[in-house]
Amino acid sequence: MDIPAAYYDGRTARRHDAQLCVEHGKLRIMTADRQREDDLRTVNIPAPLGNAPRLIMLADGARCEVADHAAFATLMQEAGLRPSIVAHLEHRWRYALTALVMLLGIIAASYVWGLPYAAKVVAHRIPDKLILAIDQQFLDAVDDKLLLPSKLSSARQFAITSRLRALQMPAGARPPARILFRSSPKLGPNAFALPGGTVVVLDEIVKLSDNDDEILGVLAHEMGHVSERHALRQMLQASVVALVMTWYVGDISSILALAPTTLLETRYSREFERSADAFAAETLTLNHIPTSRLADILEKLEHAHGVKQPTGQQHWLDYLSSHPATDERIKALRGQR
Amino acid sequence: MLRQPFTFSGSGGEYFRIWIVNLLLSIITLGIYSAWAKVRRMQYFYRHTSVAGASFDYHGDPKAILKGRIIAFVLFALYSATSHFNPVIGVGIFALIMAVMPWLVVRSLRFRLHNSSYRGLRFSSVGKVGEGYLIFLLLPIAAYASLGLLWPLAHQQITRYIRNHSRYGNELFSFHTKAGAFYRPYLVVMFSMLIFVVGMVSVAVASSVKTSSAAMAPFVMGALLMFYLLMLLLVYPYITSRLQNLIWNNTTLGPHRFESALTARGLFWVMASNIVLVILTVGLFKPFADIRLLRYKLEHLALLPGADLEDFLAGQQVTATATGEEVAEMFDVDIAF
Repeated sequence: MDIPAAYYDGRTARRHDAQLCVEHGKLRIMTADRQREDDLRTVNIPAPLGNAPRLIMLADGARCEVADHAAFATLMQEAGLRPSIVAHLEHRWRYALTALVMLLGIIAASYVWGLPYAAKVVAHRIPDKLILAIDQQFLDAVDDKLLLPSKLSSARQFAITSRLRALQMPAGARPPARILFRSSPKLGPNAFALPGGTVVVLDEIVKLSDNDDEILGVLAHEMGHVSERHALRQMLQASVVALVMTWYVGDISSILALAPTTLLETRYSREFERSADAFAAETLTLNHIPTSRLADILEKLEHAHGVKQPTGQQHWLDYLSSHPATDERIKALRGQR
Repeated sequence: MLRQPFTFSGSGGEYFRIWIVNLLLSIITLGIYSAWAKVRRMQYFYRHTSVAGASFDYHGDPKAILKGRIIAFVLFALYSATSHFNPVIGVGIFALIMAVMPWLVVRSLRFRLHNSSYRGLRFSSVGKVGEGYLIFLLLPIAAYASLGLLWPLAHQQITRYIRNHSRYGNELFSFHTKAGAFYRPYLVVMFSMLIFVVGMVSVAVASSVKTSSAAMAPFVMGALLMFYLLMLLLVYPYITSRLQNLIWNNTTLGPHRFESALTARGLFWVMASNIVLVILTVGLFKPFADIRLLRYKLEHLALLPGADLEDFLAGQQVTATATGEEVAEMFDVDIAF
């Protein structure tokens, strides 16, 4: 069977009208002024791409374009050539929708389980010396600017440190690399853990507490962050989320990618905070300290920072927040004994 | 001779099916299939673009693209890993990447052009690497150092370099403007952005004086962000349309000229509706959005033939093939222009 085609010889831009047919494993192309025969094995027939004309690419750079897909399919059958699988998959909406559902499933699973798991594995493999260097960089940047030297007596500092070191830790927990005391009128009462295992305690939170147990509660929470390497994992997870978002949305606007990125990242943050609370609860219980001590200091911190949150309701701002709602945390800690 | 408009025969639905199946396959193969997906995507755009009764084609070899992507990924991973732990090494690697970048850009231009064809004749790039360093490294650095004042000049030189060194068959493209022509649209943009920024800053200052409650902060941030996005949405279509018109109206290919008639208003409506639909469909509309934008840009471009279009000859076909094979053996780095 002869089918019409457009023929380009690859040496000039001239279009020739041609007729194609297939015979005995050879492709014959007939134009007004000449005829050529090519062995089918030397000919490249790319997979169809939507409704674009079907192509036949010849070894010397010449090509044929056939607009009629049905006629082309008949020619292919005569030649004994089978269509490509990928093109078949792309052609029907049924496969596209299946692919869409599978894709959404994979993405959701990666976000909820895959990425956190991978970040956890990588974070625990990184040698301590390397991450300690990050801590030092941070301290060098903020010491004497944001963080001032502590005004606590060395006896007091020693007392807190030794009680901390004496604490029995849950199985497999990593102890803090070092404990530093600072004062920061700007940050107020606070304590935090750096990625490399340094725990920083501020004078203001020591003053706020009524007894050492409360300080230990907060420190146990921070040690939870250190032991599980939360800061590092958050860094890894956030980078991947940001990267994927920028790749997908980025060519429209990299700013547009910011909102969904932040929304996704804060969920990871809240998971880590819950995890640190659980670690603190476990540590306190192991050392026969009531978990309500941590709840007490959290309440005091809330008042100190002047944040008034509606009790009981799930405020929509919580989804933007990096910490779970404080009364949710307090309830959880008081519920346990 | 008769004006020949460019036409695009692709459709959003058709492209979506191809895009989703390829995305799923790329993720399942951990990114390896993405090189084949890229070739299919380029072929979809090229083969559905036609002018004067014939369409374009893309011939990139997926294996070469895969090699380029692996190298780019390794460089990027190396850079982000080291810059976290040791900023000095990070800066060193960044400098290395900058030193190699112009060479990669020139390579990538050659690969991209050599693998593009129209009516069976290939395009080619004859730019030299030495000049590439001036154009793609020194000029952008100068533009950056001059706080953006030299950027219109850099843009004009980059466009000139790319076009004057591009060839179809045996004919060179040519691009003639004075740098001043580029300054006009950029100055309008810089002036409008200045007004917007002043407006945003005064809003920010006014709101921080009035409210001290922490609950208002996200609202103010959100409002500022929306304001910034709105500004981008107004400015971007303006400058894109003016520059694309300027560039194409001053490009010639032998006796043939081009005509680009984009309007800022038209582009704005396409982009704004795209963003709204992408947000409403949580990102699923993006492939449709890409096709819509491409169709709009293409259908406002036309070829004004100055002589018989069929008279192009294959330019130095033998040399092109040899260089082509050498280039195809090397890698292609994904640099979007």
